Amino acid sequence: MKKLQLTSIAGLIVLVFMSVLTPLIATAADKAEINTVATLRDHTEITSQKEPDRIPQVINKDIKQARSYPMQPPVIPHTTRSYEVNKNNNKCMSCHSRHRTEQSQAPMVSVTHFMNRDGNFLAEISPRRYFCNQCHVTQVDAEPLVENTFTDMHSLMKKKASTSEKH
Amino acid sequence: MKNIFLIGWHTLTKPSGYYSLGALVIGGFIAGIIFWGGFNTALEVTNTEAFCISCHEMENNVYEELKTTIHFSNGSGVRATCPDCHVPHKWTDKIARKMQASKEVWGTIFGTINTREKFLVHRKRLAQNEWDRLKANDSLECRNCHDFDYMDFTEQSERAAYQHSTALASGEKTCIDCHKGIAHQLPDMKGVEGW
Amino acid sequence: MTINRREFIKANAIVAAAAVAGVSVPAVASNLITSSDITKLKWDKAPCRFCGTGCSINVGVMDGKIVATHGDIKSPVNKGLSCVKGYFLSKIMYGKDRLTTPLLRMTNGKYDKEGEFTPISWDQAFNVMAEKAKDALKKDGPTAVGMFGSGQWTVQEGYAALKLMKAGFRTNNIDPNARHCMASAVGGFIRTFGIDEPMGCYDDLEAADAFVLWGSNMAEMHPILWTRLTDRRLSAPHVKVAVLSTFEHRSFDLADNGMIFTPQTDLAILNYIAHYIIETGRVNKDFINKHTNFRLGETDIGYGLRPEHPLEQKAKNNGKTKGSSTPIDFDEYAKFVSTYTAEYTSKLSGVPEHKLKELAELYADPKIKVTSFWTMGFNQHTRGVWANNLVYNIHLLTGKISTPGNSPFSLTGQPSACGTAREVGTFSHRLPADLVVANPKHRAIAEKIWDLPEGTIPAKPGYHAVLQNRMLKDGKLNFYWVQCNNNMQAAANINEEAYPGYRNPKNFIVVSDPYPTVTAQAADLILPTAMWVEKEGVYGNAERRTQSWYQMVEAPSGAKSDMWQLVEFSKRFKVEDVWPEELIAKKPDVRGKTLFEILYKDAAVGKFSLDEIPEDRLNDESRDFGFYIQKGLFEEYASFGRGHAHDLAPYDRYHKERGLRWPVVNGKETKWRFKEGSDPYVKPGSGWDFYGKPDGRAIIFALPYEPAAESPDEEYDLWLSTGRVLEHWHSGSMTQRVPELYKAMPDALVYMHPEDAKKRNMRRGDLVKLISRRGEVQTRVETRGRNKPPKGLVYMPWFDASRLVNKVTLDATDPLSKETDYKKCAIKIVKV
Repeated sequence: MKKLQLTSIAGLIVLVFMSVLTPLIATAADKAEINTVATLRDHTEITSQKEPDRIPQVINKDIKQARSYPMQPPVIPHTTRSYEVNKNNNKCMSCHSRHRTEQSQAPMVSVTHFMNRDGNFLAEISPRRYFCNQCHVTQVDAEPLVENTFTDMHSLMKKKASTSEKH
Repeated sequence: MKNIFLIGWHTLTKPSGYYSLGALVIGGFIAGIIFWGGFNTALEVTNTEAFCISCHEMENNVYEELKTTIHFSNGSGVRATCPDCHVPHKWTDKIARKMQASKEVWGTIFGTINTREKFLVHRKRLAQNEWDRLKANDSLECRNCHDFDYMDFTEQSERAAYQHSTALASGEKTCIDCHKGIAHQLPDMKGVEGW
Repeated sequence: MTINRREFIKANAIVAAAAVAGVSVPAVASNLITSSDITKLKWDKAPCRFCGTGCSINVGVMDGKIVATHGDIKSPVNKGLSCVKGYFLSKIMYGKDRLTTPLLRMTNGKYDKEGEFTPISWDQAFNVMAEKAKDALKKDGPTAVGMFGSGQWTVQEGYAALKLMKAGFRTNNIDPNARHCMASAVGGFIRTFGIDEPMGCYDDLEAADAFVLWGSNMAEMHPILWTRLTDRRLSAPHVKVAVLSTFEHRSFDLADNGMIFTPQTDLAILNYIAHYIIETGRVNKDFINKHTNFRLGETDIGYGLRPEHPLEQKAKNNGKTKGSSTPIDFDEYAKFVSTYTAEYTSKLSGVPEHKLKELAELYADPKIKVTSFWTMGFNQHTRGVWANNLVYNIHLLTGKISTPGNSPFSLTGQPSACGTAREVGTFSHRLPADLVVANPKHRAIAEKIWDLPEGTIPAKPGYHAVLQNRMLKDGKLNFYWVQCNNNMQAAANINEEAYPGYRNPKNFIVVSDPYPTVTAQAADLILPTAMWVEKEGVYGNAERRTQSWYQMVEAPSGAKSDMWQLVEFSKRFKVEDVWPEELIAKKPDVRGKTLFEILYKDAAVGKFSLDEIPEDRLNDESRDFGFYIQKGLFEEYASFGRGHAHDLAPYDRYHKERGLRWPVVNGKETKWRFKEGSDPYVKPGSGWDFYGKPDGRAIIFALPYEPAAESPDEEYDLWLSTGRVLEHWHSGSMTQRVPELYKAMPDALVYMHPEDAKKRNMRRGDLVKLISRRGEVQTRVETRGRNKPPKGLVYMPWFDASRLVNKVTLDATDPLSKETDYKKCAIKIVKV
């Protein structure tokens, strides 16, 4: 009984002090971040090593990801394990080429892919675009180590559009 | 030595004067079982992966390629060995396939594909044989494991679920029509439907 | 089905996306914004920030932010294309952990080597830096001060740094990270031709009938050049591609003849090809008689390790002869290479004889125009200069050089390895335009251009990259400034050589970087740095193309460009602080002046006014210093090369062009050097003229195969090769902060043959340790990735800051080029 009272008193004290302590703890944490600086190393000293994460899975949900800007090559929303793209074949084109899309319902490669170096359209994909994986990559289910603050042009436009409406 | 051989020969060619018909039938039956069993055991030995890759043409080409694919290494650890896909399970078909395969022994002896380059030269023809066979038997060796009736489409990716529930379900397509090059590298696919 | 698949997926995707975003989908989409003053983007050109290909990029800016990037359609290099890294350039500057304030290790408000990083002002930062530099200079003289720079510096930054170090502080201890990258290529060029950089250009890609890749995975490391090569191979079916490597990689996807060879035996294969050309009577006699000399090179030259290393003790000609050679004749050369028969070479290299012959035939057949490409496989090699010499041999024996499609072509890894590191000469032994410090005439030329007294530039070459780390560890190099690179991650043998030097209490280490890299983590002072289009600059790519760009956006408040840092720092030094009295006495008018005045403001650098900068253009540095400093630095630098086969166009022209390939003579660029008709420096009537050599003749070198520094043995039973990946650029400090690139390739795995894994009871995904005699690193096993090593060799990329593979690698270097061999050392792998 006595013990219980002691714990509840201790609990109360902690509660009271928490509100005071929280900002202090936060600054200490921020300082620790600065002091070990190595963001990509998860703040691990150079002389040691954090245990490597497991190999992440390739995202295979077939759900399109919005592009960061219109010219960005879309990322691949499915696995490509054992997909051959070599001198003999191009597995990607067995779904994404113009004459295969009706059957596959996959998006057709964009018209730019038919242009040769001089900007003329060819009847088939330009061989300079043959190796799809030079621009298009799959994504794995890993969380980026560092956030990116890139601004989408759409958000800038919307902001401007709303301010111009107000005026 | 010669005499022993002659006695044996006479015994075999002369009608039986010593044994009853019953004994002969039973003996023949037992011998049949032994020979048949021996034959089948031998046949089964040739039906293992170890046998298949005992010649370097197989080991260094198709088997090496298989190693990185999902039919070799995957989540559940269920893997396909060479005969699972390449040898029919039905006996008569198996014998037919084995007789065809005996040609490969000559290939090995005469070095038809004893280098990677030679293998690549023949690859299109070899692959076409397998595609034709699987097309003709409605991808029987695929279906020995991948039974359409038990596919849970909700466990498949949307693309896969759609194609399986339409084209495969209606019989318009069979497995091999889409799943080429899943266990080995592909040959030059010029002129192959769908490529 | 009442709903077709497309609708089904679309509806699902929208719902899923909406669910993720936590919003409900409105019945009608909001109106499209169409007003042109809102949708307008400001587009400008800049060379790509990444590799040495030098693609031109269109950069789209809105409201002071980069919002889009794509390949520049007007650029002859990439014609509208970009690789996956290039497409995501717009995100590299926006990692949330951009540095915006100098950070100094402090305890109780004072600098302390063991202290914690504490934000300080730029003024405080320069104060402590100047104090430390002055201390070092006073105590041990100029050799105690040093700088490690970059092939990613702009030309102007490199030039400002070179001038500050070599003329200001009077030390040659400046070297670029390009030392790790193409020093062997430089060594090869200088040794064979007497002048640096490729004779050919990218136009060779559309002209060649055959391509040979020697230790170059272009499909991943030079993707845009690979698109041009692929274009040529697939659109002209007679074209052949041969790929040589110690493991199978993506470039093999296009190979007609793919060859895996035992590490180091490329030297033997190169000699075999020479032998084959001679044996089959296909030597271009006329060409070799007119344009070449033969020489026998010194052998047994050691492995560039510390002198007390047993290998160095054993080497007969270790470091003493600097790669000297003696003249021989053709017959002696033929005899020398005759030992490299197909049978011997095949046995040594593991490549079947018929493949070797097929390869040799591409060079030997006079009807085939052949281009050889190489990068780190040749250059990061303890016999890297030799490998470069040997590939020139086979092009020279057949006269297949300097004409369209006939091209031995060394590719570079950094955007200005050629432009800044090599042409500006930011090496411990060099000056601009191929001049060297050891040559008194060359020093005199530099001192004249700089209007400085004779004897300003020290004659003795300084510490090169590898030696810098060793001297830091030994406490002989005490003030050290690292700019624009990540050498704690990049240098070999981190445990024994790199890390102890940075943390040696005798030393003060400054690291300038936009991001907190591994190197910054090892520093004492970190300076927040502006990057890429946050400043104006010039880069020079692998085909001698010089490209410029304007500043397009402001750097984050607090971050300053490398050039600003260098020039601003120079204000902290009076000439009396750094020069001895007898030198000042030779030019008394410098008395009392700062290095800023002597080297920049009052020199040719300072003579272009701010009026020359278009008014609508940003230019933070120039407006800060009060003159058009980028133009001044460029023009003064360009005066070294003009009239000496290194001619650059006037600065302003580069802002209008998609780059020009030097020498630019009479306003015209040069595509193929050393060939009459295409190179204005070639003497008329000579056909070819290798004018880098006094007699106009290139040298064919007799050089043997010699074994690697470290090979697998019973305990350390595997070869380890390290290298790069497509999705990340070098140490990943920019690309690892782009979410799409990170998620495409988050971690460095060890690529192993499945049998090698099985033998060690390992499987894909297993946590393992790679252990060498020098250290260990943990990672996970990949048995079915894009790289397929043969049994006995593993490959691990070095981009991953959290898995430092260079703790394991060996700091053996080419004794001639001082470039480290990152492709070969012996390790074992055990399960964790």
